[in-house]
Amino acid sequence: MTDRYTAPPVAEAGLRERLVDTICALLPRVLGREVSGATADTALMGALGLSSTAGLELVLELEERLDLEISVEDLGRGDFGTVGSLADYVAGNLITEA
Amino acid sequence: MAVAGYLPRQRVPIEEPAGRLGLSAMQVKVFRRYHGLGEVARDPDGGLPDLLRGALSRLDGLRGHEHRVRYVLHARTFPTVVPHPYHPVHELCEEYGLGHAAVFAVGHHACASGLLAVETAGRLLGADGDPDGLALVLAGEKAFTGEAQMVPGTSFFGEGASACLVAASGERDRLLSYATDLHGEFDTDAADVALEFQRVYASALAGTVRAAVERAGLTMDAIGLILPHNVNRIAWHQVCRTLGYPRERVVLDNVASAGHVFCADTFINYRTALRRGLLRRGEPYVMAAAGAGRGAAFSAMVLTH
Repeated sequence: MTDRYTAPPVAEAGLRERLVDTICALLPRVLGREVSGATADTALMGALGLSSTAGLELVLELEERLDLEISVEDLGRGDFGTVGSLADYVAGNLITEA
Repeated sequence: MAVAGYLPRQRVPIEEPAGRLGLSAMQVKVFRRYHGLGEVARDPDGGLPDLLRGALSRLDGLRGHEHRVRYVLHARTFPTVVPHPYHPVHELCEEYGLGHAAVFAVGHHACASGLLAVETAGRLLGADGDPDGLALVLAGEKAFTGEAQMVPGTSFFGEGASACLVAASGERDRLLSYATDLHGEFDTDAADVALEFQRVYASALAGTVRAAVERAGLTMDAIGLILPHNVNRIAWHQVCRTLGYPRERVVLDNVASAGHVFCADTFINYRTALRRGLLRRGEPYVMAAAGAGRGAAFSAMVLTH
């Protein structure tokens, strides 16, 4: 049986950092080109030109890379604003074994 | 107004067209997981006449009223739906005793052309001033080219058809308003414009729904149901978030099992809503669709059951 939970703020600090690093590492793969100097503040759709489909591929790649399962029910366009906002969404929407 | 829908029995997993069109496993996974697409309806042994016949033969409201039909409109996503020189709609009209009617295609709003055709039919009948006059709006196409099998990054087309009988007046279902928002600036293949289209899609469609509802003198609270085009689940979830409208009241049942049935979606979904008892007498509902091709059209109409 699975249940959704929101990670407590204390645990989020380390997790968010790990998510930001992994998203940055995956960007060249989903964009199909070199990406240098990406940080939590990098605008995904604005500065990098990430399409919504590539954004969804990024979330799936993230799941595979970190062996996580992410609930996408509430995933909206706004969550793809920056690397950091996507990391925040993922951190708050992890599905885990209850 | 009477509405019939038809979906052929055969289903094909989206992996099949995706494989032929060169999509990666990850792209297919995105379609399944996020877009909520799974299978598309197909009639491998039939042509366009067979699809349209499937809908027409279920349109009980037409029987005995064929002589009243003044117009037959075929709403099309694509301008070309059969190879030259076939005219399947003309042939079907002869077959169904509608040979006397004026027959023409309605397009250029892509997948929103079905709603445009209903509005056009009502306007023509209203101008004629004949209270007995009827118009028949047909929709449905074959997924017979690569372009007619997939909307890149968005959806897969399914085969099916709908038939809708329109009268200038009557008790139900009654058209209260129609709104359409046309964007010629998207008539380009430029990548940055495609991104802009994705960016505005949900807000533009939501804005058109809201405009149609306001034009009907209503608020979203009064809308019992939205009958959508079957583009995908995620786009409609985004529209619902923008409108503050509950997503469970959008009839998305056929997205996973039939795919995006060109201009016929909203009418097929009408039949689904009727079968599920979701349409209540006197309650307003919305039919909405967005069409993208050469430019974009966002359209919505409010009707009451």
